[in-house]
Amino acid sequence: MRRFARSLWKLWSSSHKFQIGIVIIAVFVVVAILHGPIVATIGHGQDPLGTAAYTPWQLPSRTNILGTDRYGRDILALTVTGLASSLQVGAVAGLISTVVGVLVAFIAGYKGGKLDSLLSGTADVFLVVPSLPILITLSAYVTNLSLAAIGVILAIFSWALAARTIRSQVLSLRTRPYVELAKVSRMSDLEIIVQELVPNLLPFIGVGFANAVLGSIFALVGLEVIGLGPSNVIDLGLMLNWAIGWGTLSLGMWPMFVAPIFVLGMLFFAVNLINIGLEETYNPRLRKVAGA
Amino acid sequence: MADSENRIEVSHVTHEFHGAALRATGGKLVAVNDVSFSLTDSPPQIVNLVGQSGSGKSTLARIILGLQKPTRGSVTFNGKDVYRLGGRDKEEYLRSVQPVFQDPYGIFNPFYKVDRVLWKAIKKFHLAKGRSDGLEVIERSLRAVDLRPEDVLGRYPHQLSGGQRQRVMLARVHMLQPRFIIADEPVSMLDAAVRVLFLNILIDFRDKYGMTTLFITHDLSTSYYVGGDIMVMHKGGIVESGKVDDVLVNPEHPYTRMLLSSVPVPDPDARWKDRAQVVLAEEEEELVVDKPDIEAPNP
Ligand SMILES: Nc1ncnc2c1ncn2[C@@H]1O[C@H](COP(=O)(O)OP(=O)(O)OP(=O)(O)O)[C@@H](O)[C@H]1O
Ligand SMILES: [Mg+2]
Repeated sequence: MRRFARSLWKLWSSSHKFQIGIVIIAVFVVVAILHGPIVATIGHGQDPLGTAAYTPWQLPSRTNILGTDRYGRDILALTVTGLASSLQVGAVAGLISTVVGVLVAFIAGYKGGKLDSLLSGTADVFLVVPSLPILITLSAYVTNLSLAAIGVILAIFSWALAARTIRSQVLSLRTRPYVELAKVSRMSDLEIIVQELVPNLLPFIGVGFANAVLGSIFALVGLEVIGLGPSNVIDLGLMLNWAIGWGTLSLGMWPMFVAPIFVLGMLFFAVNLINIGLEETYNPRLRKVAGA
Repeated sequence: MADSENRIEVSHVTHEFHGAALRATGGKLVAVNDVSFSLTDSPPQIVNLVGQSGSGKSTLARIILGLQKPTRGSVTFNGKDVYRLGGRDKEEYLRSVQPVFQDPYGIFNPFYKVDRVLWKAIKKFHLAKGRSDGLEVIERSLRAVDLRPEDVLGRYPHQLSGGQRQRVMLARVHMLQPRFIIADEPVSMLDAAVRVLFLNILIDFRDKYGMTTLFITHDLSTSYYVGGDIMVMHKGGIVESGKVDDVLVNPEHPYTRMLLSSVPVPDPDARWKDRAQVVLAEEEEELVVDKPDIEAPNP
């Protein structure tokens, strides 16, 4: 465990980009977890998300830091709630797709042979299937989905990418001399995977997870914007949908637009900073070129 | 242990690689072609296996170690097929046959300290009971290969030199006391002085502990140095074998002669002429041989 902490620390201290990305994500996660109390604080005892809680269409003021929407709801409270749902969907989808992707990648990459062909073939099918039309069709038929159910559905379309990238890494690691030494040291396949391969692949697994989370969040945003999202969940995409549908830009009610876009933009920015930071740390040739 | 003979029998082993990348050459590459020989630990000996890069030496080594099932043929240990061993026999086999690999950088997982390969050996082969016992075994073996435990233990692989890392592998072998060492170009990445040190340890292991080494190299000068038997491998097959002194003095196969002629001679003119002829005669690749270095007096 100490080794783990040590390597995490090494990773942390190796790149400023990585640090900035992590800090941004951490702030968002904390806000999302504390969204209940935050929303309550904003409301000063009443529900800031209730219809006609405030005067509709307010620009930022002292009571409503980001103003209010058409129904008099506080936009900051909406944004915090939306962030929480978006992250929750992303986390469920990211977790499932990473676990499935990693399992498939390790089994396929380490065992090789027919099993590999079968698993990689399946992953390839999921990679080329156009996910958006299928999601649109699905959401047209299924209504009242929970956040977790949406996460599961999105995971179906994102595990394959994780599986593919990690599998290629497993392939390159499994013939390393230290893996062969482990074999002649009577370590079992499972021990070799867990102790020899996984630690060296953590950064790739981390990147896979981050990308799956981000991909799922944006997939849901895409559905919401075209009006096909689950009806009972306020997420960042639904806010964008309202912003477009109500013509907020022409009304000059910019917070309705800017708030969700800013949060989504920051998420995107942070995840990519983390990706770049990891790549620089684990791909020294790139680091030299980048001069970081 | 030493009174009963142990024997590795390689018989008619052929290994083919298949793959999309090989489609141009008919879809398969014969890396090892109908190879047969045997290794015994009574009397203990060092058997040289020489050949150019790509001649199939590493593939053969991995087949013997049980890491790559051959396409055809069999490897048996004391009469039992190495690829059909059950739990106990498998343990017995790995207890008796251990490798030293070529690349001193790749044998350590960069994630862990170097101690780990030694502790793994202790745990997996039940070499000691408890931590202090184990540490004693580890320190004794490190000293046996001329390493000071305090220079090595608690360090990460990148903090050791190539020679130190390779000797940690020898310390591991010393701990396990196998009957056979399969050493795949163990010295090709070491400088001349460390090379001699390493070879002397192998010779020491033979004389003191009765271990037999299959010593794989593409460097004929190291074969001269360790002596014993030699097998010359060319394009997957063994083309010539015998005593080092006979084969390297009176080579019969043209390939062996070619190998010998590409050993650099101290006279610079002669060397360039020879090199040129070799290049003309055989289109093949590098053969790093530094015979003058290796015959420096032992440290
Ligand atoms: N996993 C593999 N897949 C396909 N071809 C392989 C594989 N491993 C080895 N080969 C091929 O088999 C042949 C023999 O390789 P091998 O590594 O046994 O040679 P070698 O004698 O050990 O060479 P060197 O001295 O460079 O280590 C080579 O042509 C090599 O390209
Ligand atoms: Mg080799």
